[in-house]
Amino acid sequence: MNSIIITRAGTHSTIQDFGRFQYQHLGVSPSGAMDQRIITELQKIIPNHQNQFLEFAYVGPSIKVKEGSVKICVGGNCNMSIQKNNNSQLECHPYKSINLFEGDELIIHNTIDSVYGYIAFEHGLGLEPCLNSYATDTKAGIGSINRSLNDEDIFHISKDVNSWDIISIPKPDLEKVTNFKVYPGPQLQYFSDNTLQSFISGVFTITNQSDRMGIRLKGESLISSKSHDILSEGILPGSIQVPSDGQPIVLMRDIPCTGGYPKIAILNEVDISRISQLPPETKITFDLQTIY
Amino acid sequence: MYFKGINSYGDRGLVLDFGDETSKSISQEVNEAFLNILNLNLQSLNIVPSFNKIVVIFENSKIRDQNKDKISMEMRDTNSQTNKKVTKIWEIPACYNEDFALDIKIIQKLHQITKEEVINLHSSVRYYTYYIGFMPGFPYLGDIPSQLITPRLATPRVKIPARSIGIAKNHTCIYPRVSPGGWNIIGQIPFDIFDLQSTKPSLFLPGDEVKFFSVSLPEFQKIKKHNFSLNELIKEYSS
Repeated sequence: MNSIIITRAGTHSTIQDFGRFQYQHLGVSPSGAMDQRIITELQKIIPNHQNQFLEFAYVGPSIKVKEGSVKICVGGNCNMSIQKNNNSQLECHPYKSINLFEGDELIIHNTIDSVYGYIAFEHGLGLEPCLNSYATDTKAGIGSINRSLNDEDIFHISKDVNSWDIISIPKPDLEKVTNFKVYPGPQLQYFSDNTLQSFISGVFTITNQSDRMGIRLKGESLISSKSHDILSEGILPGSIQVPSDGQPIVLMRDIPCTGGYPKIAILNEVDISRISQLPPETKITFDLQTIY
Repeated sequence: MYFKGINSYGDRGLVLDFGDETSKSISQEVNEAFLNILNLNLQSLNIVPSFNKIVVIFENSKIRDQNKDKISMEMRDTNSQTNKKVTKIWEIPACYNEDFALDIKIIQKLHQITKEEVINLHSSVRYYTYYIGFMPGFPYLGDIPSQLITPRLATPRVKIPARSIGIAKNHTCIYPRVSPGGWNIIGQIPFDIFDLQSTKPSLFLPGDEVKFFSVSLPEFQKIKKHNFSLNELIKEYSS
């Protein structure tokens, strides 16, 4: 038996996968990793990840091997180090597999000029799925673990590592994008041509009131010419909704399943991952695609 | 026939439009179409009905475009069919005891009626499940008798007890679990309506009909103690 203990949970550390589907009509959000590009890359290094990825934001977790040994890989742009059981420090890097033995501690200090990072574990973390997924939605209390991780959480990984070979891939080119091509939202007509012009020509700032549910933007007020209150309808991640204060919110992975604000536009799937990595105060712009 | 057509929602979604109004007959058409589309077993990620829309979500635009015609065809067929009844009728025990009816006085005062009248009115009507949303398993039921129509609380409650029955505008609801919320709370039911351990986690589905019947506190406690599973509830309380 191999086991690891979370010695420092970090901020907003949760278990995620590619999302929980087929349950949104019962009020269950898709959730899943905020930046799905990274867990897609990690699959190449740890193919047997069992869809149990650890997601962290800003301040990463520290993980110590309590028993046995594990093979892991970190993805994202982050500062990290390994404290060996003989007290020596070891350098380590994202996108290169790491072998950890009893007493070794992986310390992820923080993400650099980005928000989210991930850890993949060979053979997973010994978790059971919830509604066919390992993703966590902390607000709804759903997940293989239905909350953020805490200090002292322990995971048991029954299978032993198959091969200690170090595997690495070139650091993926996850370029920072701040101009987003968006498609018209279902309530585009709720906004006048002038307001749409402000949306396209304006600069919006990502605020610190942003989380897995949505990214709140600050910028020129986008007031609807019709109403900011629609009958609730199903929504997709990436939708840009505008409440009555005119400040848009980009809905992210833990979306409320239905929403009552008009949606001016929607991002494409890869841009949801891209925008999730922009820290507060980043300035962004939108281009409206007319043909889709 | 309210169906207006199918529009794109970004590069990977579709919206089936049933107009801008809301009524039980519109919802019946929406929920019937929802079940028919669900039965097509499309390569969709989610199918989300609401008062007058159905949103269908796909992994990408290619799969979306491949499936659009199947949905169009189904909608054409549905319109010529007589409705297939697959929904359930529920009789749900409700305890309106003052320990649970946190806001019943607001409704009494607004409409100048007694507590008994609120209970009799609320348990007199068979409600329609418009859709499930807001939180996992939360049913939007309606329409409530006009003498009970009450706006949301001016200040939402931070913590509504699990299984609470609420009223807001012309709808009534059940909170599946502890949650913040703004509905007027008038009672509680003695069992869970959402079970994460089940592959069919929600007791109610869009289109189901729900009638409450009033039970005393001792009866409520007795049912609560029984700790029904969803499958037992289906046998016990639906027809």
